Amino acid sequence: MPPFPLLRLPQLVLCKVFRSLNIEEKIKLSICSKKISFQINNDRMYSQKVIVSLDMINKQIRVHSENDEDTFKVFIDLDIRKRNYSKQQFSIACRTVKVMSTRKKFKMYWKNYQEGFLSSIRHLLKMFQCKVSTSFICHGSDIFQPTISTLFDLQVEFETLCIHFKRSKDENLLWNQISNNLGLVENLTISSVPDIDFTPVFTSWPQQISIMNSAWFTRESLLTCPCTTITLWNSNLENKDLDEIFRKWRAGELPNLKYLKIHNLSFTDNGEHILGMNLRDLNGMVIQTDDGSKKATIELRFLWMIEMNVTPFE
Amino acid sequence: MTSPASSSEVKYLIESSEGNTFDVSGAALRQSNTFNAMFLNIGADGPIPFTDYNEATLKKVFEYCEHSVNEENYSGPKHQDDLSKWDLNFFNEMDQKMFIDVINASNFLDIERLTSYCCERIARMLRGKNTQEMIKVITLPTAEELEAKQKVEEKKAAAAKKVAEKAAETAEKTETLEELPVQQLVQTTRNKLTRKYLSFSNE
Repeated sequence: MPPFPLLRLPQLVLCKVFRSLNIEEKIKLSICSKKISFQINNDRMYSQKVIVSLDMINKQIRVHSENDEDTFKVFIDLDIRKRNYSKQQFSIACRTVKVMSTRKKFKMYWKNYQEGFLSSIRHLLKMFQCKVSTSFICHGSDIFQPTISTLFDLQVEFETLCIHFKRSKDENLLWNQISNNLGLVENLTISSVPDIDFTPVFTSWPQQISIMNSAWFTRESLLTCPCTTITLWNSNLENKDLDEIFRKWRAGELPNLKYLKIHNLSFTDNGEHILGMNLRDLNGMVIQTDDGSKKATIELRFLWMIEMNVTPFE
Repeated sequence: MTSPASSSEVKYLIESSEGNTFDVSGAALRQSNTFNAMFLNIGADGPIPFTDYNEATLKKVFEYCEHSVNEENYSGPKHQDDLSKWDLNFFNEMDQKMFIDVINASNFLDIERLTSYCCERIARMLRGKNTQEMIKVITLPTAEELEAKQKVEEKKAAAAKKVAEKAAETAEKTETLEELPVQQLVQTTRNKLTRKYLSFSNE
């Protein structure tokens, strides 16, 4: 059978062919030529929804569907001439790079890891018009901060962004750069070493936020937070703070809130009333906003975790 | 052959690029969304000119349509492994040139089921291969070939426009329908074909 003239097919047919391919096949095909890459990029609006997850420690990018059924790993390595694998050169994000593409593995060889990650991410984002995700595992890598910083410059959207503060000046610089661009982030998770003297200041907010050591996140911070989901671990908030938060929510504050979880080992049932009740009696209680538009169910997980689920009235 | 197509017994004459005509059942033709948009409600005055495609290709396409007349309603692309023996034979007996002609004709006639099966068949050529193997499977066109492709697309767009004009002309001649509905049908047909023409031009 002679080679198939794929690019001579009508555009609509070509798009349908691309839609029949899985993530792995699409990525492998995309580097065959610039023309094919261009055609695949043209079809990205109709592409399956994928997420590009960065794993900078293991030097890999996992491209996967939302349900994780379709997944493919791209490995980033350094281009060291001594290695004598069967590699071919391809053009990726306007750079010529050696690639080892076997049926099971896809490895790209770059001059340095940062260039490798950034160029590969750019190529993948053009193909899939998707969001990027990071995990805490990335923080052990030197290239995490410069890469994330560049992605924010490029206005890339994040499905999940994990930031870890461990008393480094670079982290503060990164935070100062991204804190006014958090609208690009769907889920932000912040962790920090205990007793850190740096308090992040928010000039913009993600859609959902989760803070691991949240002692620095005060009642005032919470009441100004427009996120739909707020999760605070190891919080310093007390009964009187909860009382004010619930009262203000009833009065119409925190209008976007759908779910609130606060974990605090020092919540006490010491007679300090919340909404005129003992802490223990709050479990299962339903409160509603003064205007009657929303209700919320409060649940207690033991005495150190309180959850609030908001639902609109039908 | 003309007829308002409401029953499956109605036959339509199809004209190929060689100027030959052959008849196809209304039931088979109704699998073509292009036909539905142009002629289904208003009938055709004379042969329907699908003159951008040769007789062999059109016969192959309508052979598929005739076969799938009695199949259940189409519900999205099937996996290649789910194709029937008849479907597999249908595809296997075509050489590459005929296969490409059939894809092009099926795409123009907007026969969803056939186009999807063809696309799945192409995807299967690439499945399980690494990049080097993919490059061997497909031909990467030169700039001249891409330019030629663009010219062909333009020619097809012009042909689609011509067919649209003929459909509109036929609609105007149709006397069996009330005046107002005919005008509405002509307008609807023109709108649909203009959209199709624009989509060709954009390609």
